[in-house]
Amino acid sequence: MSIIKLENISYSYPEEIVLEKLSLEIEKNKITYLLGDSGSGKTTILRLIAGLEIPREGKIFIENKVVSKANLLIIPPEKRKIGYIFQNLALWPHFTVFKNIAFGLKNRNTSNIEKTVLDMLDFFGLKDYIKKFPHQLSGGQQQMVAIARALVLEPKILLMDEPLANLDIRSKKKILQYLILLRDNYELSILYITHDHREAFEVADNIVVLNNGKIRDFDSRDQIINSLL
Amino acid sequence: MGRKLIKHPGYTIILVLYLFFVVFPVLNSIWLTVTNGHFIEIVKTVGQDTILLLLKSSGLSAIIAIISTLAGIVLGFIIYKTPVRFGKIFKITILLPLFISPYILAVAWKDLLLLFFDKIYGINSFFAIVLIHSTIYIPLSILIIGSALVNVSRESEESALMIAGFKKMFFRILLPLIKPAILTSLVLVFIFSISEFSVPAYFGVRVFTTEIFTQFSAFYNYNLAMLQSTLLIIICILLLLSERKYIADSPFLSISTRGKSTKIYDFKNLNRLGLLILIFSLLVMIILPLLELIYQSFEKGTGQFTKAFNLLLPTFENSLFLAFIGAISTLIIGFVAAYFSEVYRKKNLDSLILFVFAVPSIVLGIALIKFYNRPFLSGIYSGFGIIIIGYIAKYGFISAKLMGNAIKQIPSSLNEVAKIQGIGSIKRISFITIPLILPAIFASFIINFLFCLGDLGTTIIVYPPGAEIMPIKIFTIMANAPESLTGSMVLIVFLFTILIILILFIIFKKIVVFYNVDY
Repeated sequence: MSIIKLENISYSYPEEIVLEKLSLEIEKNKITYLLGDSGSGKTTILRLIAGLEIPREGKIFIENKVVSKANLLIIPPEKRKIGYIFQNLALWPHFTVFKNIAFGLKNRNTSNIEKTVLDMLDFFGLKDYIKKFPHQLSGGQQQMVAIARALVLEPKILLMDEPLANLDIRSKKKILQYLILLRDNYELSILYITHDHREAFEVADNIVVLNNGKIRDFDSRDQIINSLL
Repeated sequence: MGRKLIKHPGYTIILVLYLFFVVFPVLNSIWLTVTNGHFIEIVKTVGQDTILLLLKSSGLSAIIAIISTLAGIVLGFIIYKTPVRFGKIFKITILLPLFISPYILAVAWKDLLLLFFDKIYGINSFFAIVLIHSTIYIPLSILIIGSALVNVSRESEESALMIAGFKKMFFRILLPLIKPAILTSLVLVFIFSISEFSVPAYFGVRVFTTEIFTQFSAFYNYNLAMLQSTLLIIICILLLLSERKYIADSPFLSISTRGKSTKIYDFKNLNRLGLLILIFSLLVMIILPLLELIYQSFEKGTGQFTKAFNLLLPTFENSLFLAFIGAISTLIIGFVAAYFSEVYRKKNLDSLILFVFAVPSIVLGIALIKFYNRPFLSGIYSGFGIIIIGYIAKYGFISAKLMGNAIKQIPSSLNEVAKIQGIGSIKRISFITIPLILPAIFASFIINFLFCLGDLGTTIIVYPPGAEIMPIKIFTIMANAPESLTGSMVLIVFLFTILIILILFIIFKKIVVFYNVDY
């Protein structure tokens, strides 16, 4: 069953066509990896799903509802129940770890913000860092804070734009284990961008291979691996 | 989901207000001049004399722009790119002349030179204007060029140094990389200088702005004044348009350089030469004029100083009030223009602010008088409203540029992630954008506050009769008062300015602590 559906999506910048009639369905409660070279349109797909960009043509569905269609934003980003981890993590540098996570909650009817944030930090082993600022944390810890900030709002979909690119192997493995845990325990659907084939082969349920704004391959991880053998 | 009729109502309201209160008066003046029945006759009166005067004024401003920019390159390099001793102190103190009204330095320098030489050939001449205007605008050039020097990537310089010597790297790599800042400095100093009125007026030098002022206030020849003004506006707009690309998009006047790794050049023994150059500059630009003012004021006891203080006392309240409102208004308009230009790519307000900036102060004053002198706008005309509008028109550009460059440096993802989390635009501005550009907001406020406090060019035309405003009071008394009294008044304004800078700095520190931002 699909949670996200892209139907004949086209998107272009003034002098460059990024996506041309692209269709794609992302399965619910799965980790889907988007693999592709730089400029293949991976980030654009994530931004379109998040509602940060609007397609020139086609429709985007989330849970069978149209959220965007040609030049029209129907459901704004904040109502799409998504979490987005940017490549640069986009942690607010002037907020402490606690405030980075609590800031979004203040906009919702969360009964006990402090407890919710502390529980989340506990889950990621970050309870000792609540008063630290992002620049006082290691790369891996910053990554955890960014994920915690997205998850605390209980999204159904987590979009991750190559967030582990600059991490060491140990931290990367730890976070990837968390992703599997999140998928299983929170019924989260994760769409993840990377260049790294090995990482995708290790964690992904499904893999989409993009090339110049078009889908070259889309299958389960095992099928993709078998096709390469 | 329905679409809103007006997507950004706040922006639209400010744009419409700016158009009506600031842009329309200027356009109205130009229109009235051109459509005047006697326009052709007036054009005929613009003879060789006017053209020569315009050329002389342009030449004078060009010389000042070149001197300031060259000095800005040398001093900016020493301050920002060498390990010169007391570098941090120089960074702040060398900027002080920028915040001091030009007439203050004019008074100080005239007295200083006359102190040593009974009569100096050429003191009442272009030389004096070049000296004083350069002193005032060198800090602006340092600020612009220094910011650019700090922003040059260390790798670009180091990779050049690996294949060539310092001299080649400096002229072939570093200078071309900061070319936008150099051009920006040239254009801005030229415009500021050609618009400046008080220094040529004080030295009795006939330049284009004093000529416009004379035609308007002495001969009541409004049409000729406006025609001459239009010529000046055209020159400034042409210059700004030709450099639009650089001024609009190059990160000049960047306040925060947090996280930047700048290449520092250690010249060993030659560093002392850098220190000497800085000390000499500081001596000429600040210390000597200040010492002269102190000497002049207290030469014959404290009597003149007390008298000057009593004369200026009634102006403090009005001047502070007007400068505060002016600075807040320009801050708001500058922020709105910068935010919408950088975040939403809406550049209408930004472009209008640039256009109005090209209008010299004296011309702006005349345009405002002409427009607001009508019954239904008399509330603005006869009150302080017209002065505030003048400030907004003249200094909105500085705010917009300062904050625009600061907003440009915030990654868009910081706002996007907040948007995805459902945080509204007001909250995003209040809790994300504003705290992250606090240094630029503070700089914009303090610069505009001090510029408004010392503004003479527009204020002298538009101030309502009987209004007690500091620069106007000094300027009117200056003509007939003894030098010791003028010197005392100017010294008081100088000290007052320094005191305000200190107070504002302390307030800023408190705000930084409140926002918990590590700068």
